[in-house]
Amino acid sequence: MATVTDTQHAPHSHGKPSGLSRWLTATNHKDIGTLYLWFSFAMFLSGGVMALCIRAELFHPGLQFFQPELFNQFTTLHGLIMVFGAIMPAFTGLANWLLPLMIGAPDMAFARMNNWSFWLLPPAALLLLASFAVPGGAAAAGWTLYAPLSTQMGMGMDMTIFAIHIMGISSIMGSINIIVTILNLRAPGMTLMKMPMFAWATLITAYLIIAVMPVLAGAVTMVLTDRHFGTHFFNAAGGGDPILYQHVFWFFGHPEVYIMALPAFGIISHVIPTFARKPLFGYTSMVYATSSIGILSFMVWAHHMFATGMPATAQLFFMYATMLIAVPTGVKVFNWIATMWEGSMTFETPMLFAIGFIMLFTIGGLSGVTLSVAAVDIALHASYYVVAHFHYVLVAGALFSLFAAIYYWFPKMTGKMYNERLGKVHFWWSLIWFNVTFFPMHFLGLAGMPRRIPDYALQFTTFNEIASVGAFFFGLGQLIFLYNMLVSIRRGEPAPQKPWEGADTLEWQIPTPAPYHSFAEAPELEVAENGAIRAMKGGKHH
Amino acid sequence: MESSQHSVNLVLLKKLAIIALVMFGFAWALVPMYRVICEATGLNQIAVADAAPMQAGAAGAQIEMTFDSMVQAGLPWRVRPLTSHLKVKTGEFIRVDYEITNASDRRMVGQAVPRYLPAAAGEYVKKLDCFCFKQQSFEPGQTKRFPVVFVVDPKMPRDISTITLAYSIFEVPGQGGL
Repeated sequence: MATVTDTQHAPHSHGKPSGLSRWLTATNHKDIGTLYLWFSFAMFLSGGVMALCIRAELFHPGLQFFQPELFNQFTTLHGLIMVFGAIMPAFTGLANWLLPLMIGAPDMAFARMNNWSFWLLPPAALLLLASFAVPGGAAAAGWTLYAPLSTQMGMGMDMTIFAIHIMGISSIMGSINIIVTILNLRAPGMTLMKMPMFAWATLITAYLIIAVMPVLAGAVTMVLTDRHFGTHFFNAAGGGDPILYQHVFWFFGHPEVYIMALPAFGIISHVIPTFARKPLFGYTSMVYATSSIGILSFMVWAHHMFATGMPATAQLFFMYATMLIAVPTGVKVFNWIATMWEGSMTFETPMLFAIGFIMLFTIGGLSGVTLSVAAVDIALHASYYVVAHFHYVLVAGALFSLFAAIYYWFPKMTGKMYNERLGKVHFWWSLIWFNVTFFPMHFLGLAGMPRRIPDYALQFTTFNEIASVGAFFFGLGQLIFLYNMLVSIRRGEPAPQKPWEGADTLEWQIPTPAPYHSFAEAPELEVAENGAIRAMKGGKHH
Repeated sequence: MESSQHSVNLVLLKKLAIIALVMFGFAWALVPMYRVICEATGLNQIAVADAAPMQAGAAGAQIEMTFDSMVQAGLPWRVRPLTSHLKVKTGEFIRVDYEITNASDRRMVGQAVPRYLPAAAGEYVKKLDCFCFKQQSFEPGQTKRFPVVFVVDPKMPRDISTITLAYSIFEVPGQGGL
């Protein structure tokens, strides 16, 4: 990112501002993308430390390090920080960095709003982290903030509610920016049905965010008024209903699951074709599968609530609707496998993470189908089986795809190559310790261990010990990634314009590192499916 | 960026912002929608008197009933069923009494919420009168005695032989004194 390679001088060109003001007043999509990515990594580390506190406490039965109140705060804040602080901003950051490069736009559509979207996040994160220090501690109702727990706790809950409001506004503005950029700023020739899968995935994700983040904002606002202004939305005594909270929350919560999964699908749809040196199999079906997952995600929310005593008819509806999602998801998985079929594959770090993603995400998907069976779910509800399930789709799913993306686009972002050997160590280390951590949780859940408890019955000891050891090694391995990034940004080998032989989307047609002002003039493109560039004319950078 | 492009972008921004605002409103609209759906389907209607079952009066199978009560931690209620165990027959009209005390020094309004164990028995216990049908107000230190009148529907499956009926008492915030 350090040098401007192209010196063509446009009349209104301006250089990079320097120092702190470059970041505080950033309007350049690459700077803002970089801010998002570092912010989400910092949140990933702080949420990770909380996870390790949880695993340390669960290493043995009985209470070792933390009182149950603090333990509950850790589980709650770990979830909130990872979902709203790490995964969602990381995907927004990637979208900021890559979308304009992929579709030939000069920048995001609303540069100043983009700045605001990002700078709302640090105050929200501070609110969450500072809530540990207030009387009563941080929110401890679980990341879902279920009423009536959330209508009772101390001011840590109010801080959490405001943090959610702020992060919600941030992600809605980020999404508006993404949608307007994709719909209005594509270069001539880049039609919607030729557009790269990552652009498609972030487009649909952005629509989901605009549709459901306001619903979450509504739900927590009702909690807030129940807490302080005498309303009874969720108070049974006053004529309200705590189950209503669950309905409103999961109307947001299930699309949220796909908000964290669809961009991952988009990334994998770039990495797999590149390293298989074949075009993505079934591009059109990928687009439709992504859209149908987005639409179906609004019709399945009550599968999180099978244990609330719903009528059997409703349980059946939500059970079958949930199972239906396996169809478009299966289309995607089989398309990726078909893309690899008879490809000339090489296994650089991004490809390793992508293949690891496919394998482990599929395991998480299968345990999801298991949980969708209402009769089974009543036994497994709120058990460690659920914890195992969503960590397979969020850690091995979303997080692995993010690692794949960072390694894959690192050369274009920084102009340097990362250390391939350390990257591979990072992958195998993460793969092994991830499974050591989370696979035993399936057994714990099947044996009846409930989630969100600081203490457990003796028969669960061995699997908990294995999981805790795995978690600490998994956490340690992420420092390899940090070290690799820091060293490679400074002293990595210079990267060529196209470091990956099979890469064919637009961002690989411009110099490396990507010029500060890329596509100041829109290029004329001839594009094949999945954004593969056949020919490019024009397009100025400076 | 050309200004025409910018105004096109602004139009889309406004449309998307309207979607976000509408969805915020939708979250609030879910509250009355939920109530309407619950009323239309008869779900979750705990505070409404049931109709006596058709075969009421004709004595049927014998079941054992336990009466219990729960108070959330920190709330100054004392709740006591005057009868804790009873052998009843399905179809029989039963009356039991509960005694509720406001153990605080302020006026309080309470709402009782019934709960059944096994939960499946809930729909067969037809309550004709219950203090849980409305909010009850208490002077400081006041004790009140309330009847519960119910019939166990003879249509209840035979595999349910014992039923526990437990009331939780909640305070209705903002209705009592300070």
